[in-house]
Amino acid sequence: MPGDGRRSAPPSIRDEGRGGLTDLIELRGVSKVFGKGDAAVHAFGPVDLAIGEGRFVSFLGPSGCGKSTLMLMIAGLLEPSAGSILVNGREVRGPQTDIGIMFQDSTLVPWRTVRGNVELQLEMRGIPLGAMRARVTALLKSVDLEEFAERFPFELSGGMQQRAAFCQAMIHDPKIVLLDEPLGKLDAMTREHIRADLQRLWMRNRPTVVFVTHSIEEAVQLSTEVAVITPRPGKIDTLIPVELPFPRDLAVKSSPEFIAHVKDIQEIFHGYGVL
Amino acid sequence: MAMASSERGLALDRLWRWLGQSWMFVAFFVGFFLFWEWSIVLFKIPLYILTPPSMIVTKAWADMGRLIQYTYVTGLETVLGYAVAAVVALPIGLAIAFSSILRRTIYPFLVCIEMVPKIAFAPLFISWLGFGLLPKVIIVFLVCFFPIVLNAILAFNSLSEELTRFSYSTGASRWRTFLKIRLPAAMPQCFVGFKYAGLNATVGAAIAEFIGSDQGLGFYIQITTGNMRPELAFAGIFFLTAIGLALFGTITLAERLIIPWHISIRRTRT
Repeated sequence: MPGDGRRSAPPSIRDEGRGGLTDLIELRGVSKVFGKGDAAVHAFGPVDLAIGEGRFVSFLGPSGCGKSTLMLMIAGLLEPSAGSILVNGREVRGPQTDIGIMFQDSTLVPWRTVRGNVELQLEMRGIPLGAMRARVTALLKSVDLEEFAERFPFELSGGMQQRAAFCQAMIHDPKIVLLDEPLGKLDAMTREHIRADLQRLWMRNRPTVVFVTHSIEEAVQLSTEVAVITPRPGKIDTLIPVELPFPRDLAVKSSPEFIAHVKDIQEIFHGYGVL
Repeated sequence: MAMASSERGLALDRLWRWLGQSWMFVAFFVGFFLFWEWSIVLFKIPLYILTPPSMIVTKAWADMGRLIQYTYVTGLETVLGYAVAAVVALPIGLAIAFSSILRRTIYPFLVCIEMVPKIAFAPLFISWLGFGLLPKVIIVFLVCFFPIVLNAILAFNSLSEELTRFSYSTGASRWRTFLKIRLPAAMPQCFVGFKYAGLNATVGAAIAEFIGSDQGLGFYIQITTGNMRPELAFAGIFFLTAIGLALFGTITLAERLIIPWHISIRRTRT
């Protein structure tokens, strides 16, 4: 089995340099089984993992490995079949609200403009809009959407829609951001562009990010750690720290270290027969 | 991105396409009536079977007083029945969509009744309630109620998984989620029901009048046909169509006002 030697019991990702000594998210023996009896599908786990504050962790794995399931469980939108999840030391028992969440299909509503959609996040939380208007504008500006603030989602390209959805997920300044293949439906060039936006915003606010993807390159480029997940039932095969400097631009992506990381991960997947 | 210029181009494009399409439609429409007019002469169709459109217009003009009065009668039945159905069906659909108890009791019952042709109840209602307005309003109500209620249930039950999860993650109350997300998201599907019901409302009114009535366009069509006056029956049909068109036009207008975002999506995609 590839990666066996590297797997160590509860791996912990902490940003010691930044004083982030607490684990913000802790997974303890988390697993998920869908259905009952003979029809039961063991989707995920058991998984142990601790994620420190301000880290950018990618769950990288083939489709169907349960990485999205794990993300939903962290968000408290899905209950684990066994084990427990702690956020900020407290066990997750229902939907978490100090999070920003983004899916492959955007959560933009068609009856609101881009600005209206970003404000929807605030309105749903009962945050008065008055003081936040300037922030909404600034956030839209940071992803080059200020000219499209009064446009409706259907008037935007796919990439612009996902950037708008990103603003919607970030406007309330969540401590945890959960991104479930947010770039999955975009073309390669747009993905590249939005990755840069995403990295810039993460570097500025330093939320804790859980990023679900099946793109090896994307995971290595964006993450402080990549959790390589096995085919179903998904388990963490290896936790790879990526110690390349941020921001990771095109120059970094052609560096030998970057390429070595990508190659390592490819070999792991090759061992499982998914590559 | 040159959004403004492409939009102007799109508007011009749309105008041309509309002209092209409606020009053909008008031509076809005129052609249809000309063919009708001439075929009476060409195929020597007796006038008590079918009359040319020109004759329908002149004879209808002579009987305009009665036609307008009956249009009012049938129109009132249609609008009242439809309005009551819309007002009653929407909250019931909402309640069924959000209550698992109602979904297991009333919903299957409604689906069963939907299988029954509502028109079949018409003779019963008329025998119970007489020849007046009320039995007709009830029949129009029955015809309109089911499409609205069934589409409303579908509408309020089909929020996307993403938006459901988004709503939960904001910690918003159920009421706030309903107002800001569920209700607007359900409107397009609700309007499918409203429009379908609108198309069928005049059918209910006309058939109810066939069965037992002393006024209204359904009554008029039946009497004039019996008197071998097909030109007046056709006039009655045209006025009945006008009621249907006016109702459907009003619903479509309401749809444009209430969910302009949805209309505009459809418009730019076609």
